[in-house]
Amino acid sequence: MIMTKVNEITKKYGNKTVLDHVSFSVKKGECLGILGHNGAGKTTLIETMLGLKKADEGQVIIFDHNMAKRKQQLFEKVGVQLQHSAYQAKIKVHELCQERAVLYQTDIDEDRLLTDFGLLDKKNQMVESLSGGEKQKLSILLAIMHEPELIFLDELTTGLDVVARREIWKYLLQLKKNNKSLILTSHYMDEVETLCDRILLLKDGKELISGTVQEVIENSPYDNLEKAFLWYMGEEVLL
Amino acid sequence: MKKYLTYLKIEAILALRSIDLVFFGVIMPIGIAVLIAAIGGNKMTAEGYTYLQGTFGSLITVGICATALMGIPLCLSDYRDKKILKHFFVTPVRPSMILLVQAVINALISIFSASAIYIILKLGWGYDISGSVGMLILSFMVTMFALYGLGMLIASVCRTTKSVNLACTLFYFPMLFLSGATVPFEMFPKWLQSIANVLPLTQGIKLIKGYSLSPNPKNIVMPFIILLSIALISIILSIKTFKWE
Repeated sequence: MIMTKVNEITKKYGNKTVLDHVSFSVKKGECLGILGHNGAGKTTLIETMLGLKKADEGQVIIFDHNMAKRKQQLFEKVGVQLQHSAYQAKIKVHELCQERAVLYQTDIDEDRLLTDFGLLDKKNQMVESLSGGEKQKLSILLAIMHEPELIFLDELTTGLDVVARREIWKYLLQLKKNNKSLILTSHYMDEVETLCDRILLLKDGKELISGTVQEVIENSPYDNLEKAFLWYMGEEVLL
Repeated sequence: MKKYLTYLKIEAILALRSIDLVFFGVIMPIGIAVLIAAIGGNKMTAEGYTYLQGTFGSLITVGICATALMGIPLCLSDYRDKKILKHFFVTPVRPSMILLVQAVINALISIFSASAIYIILKLGWGYDISGSVGMLILSFMVTMFALYGLGMLIASVCRTTKSVNLACTLFYFPMLFLSGATVPFEMFPKWLQSIANVLPLTQGIKLIKGYSLSPNPKNIVMPFIILLSIALISIILSIKTFKWE
């Protein structure tokens, strides 16, 4: 079952083309990783898919709905962690969780989620007093709190330490087991290899290659994803 | 409904944690009321009522003016600037809910401010409403709808905090000083009265003042129609034109 389909999406900022006829689809229970340098168009692709940005050409279908116009009910089944988190000033962790939880129809147990993400002891703290890693965990928690069918995670573990990253991976792998679909961007190749069934490499808004991690590696002269990635990007593989 | 109230409660807590709304919505209107009462108080005017009776209707609108034209637009433009609305975009929340919650919080502040002014003037200067209390409350509500509609529209249309600041200044200060809210309308020369007449708050004050002085004031149909039309049009437009980013 196809959860989302992107058809020939193109996005321009003035004369600059930031997405150039990109196409792919994601099935139920599948995890797609979108990789590329900074500025390759990963975030623009995700934001265009979500309707935050308007595509100049092409079409994005999520659960059979054309995303050209925002349909708020759709976000009952879609979870999103945007690249830069932003919250109201002077809001406490439990207030933020509560406020987001009531926007969904599903009944959400915020304390259980805070426990799962190791943030229960921070619930009465101001969000701005959390560390970068804790804020990142909180933004992932907010994205998955309503048990969405399709989850977008833009640079999901940036700022997290090794232990916290692995905790998040474990959680996401469990979501995959429960047939949830994920679309993520990441700069960490170990993360991509652990979580993703398929990957899409972008360079200057264009698709370089897509396929399973193994297929992408096999199509390069190297035997691991990091070196293959550098090779596809036209960078020198130093070691 | 319970979910809506939870959302409202949290946003209200956040609004109260920021001193701006409390200052402009409560402290400043009460301060102006006390100042004007101390200056004019129970002195009789040529119209046959006390200075306080003549200005009460205006004084209770200062809170509406501040919360509608500063509170709502500045809060939402701040949310937009900080990308908080962008985060709301990817949830099922509707623009109408975001606008409504801010309007209700600011309305509660205005009602508190107006009630506090009434109590202070009654206890301190023995002020009494000589007109119709019910119709005065209705007039207050209609004025609030119109002004909040305008505030919501500014919040929706303006993209940046800078443009909201400009729009607020262009609406807030003329309304505060020319509508009769702080300086009695009757003191203006005729030409200035004609200009001030186009301001929605002037119409609101005419209504409120009319019902604060008499149970059956004259010439109140037009202000009612104008205010309800402004409320209806601006609320619909604010929902239609709401910008997330």
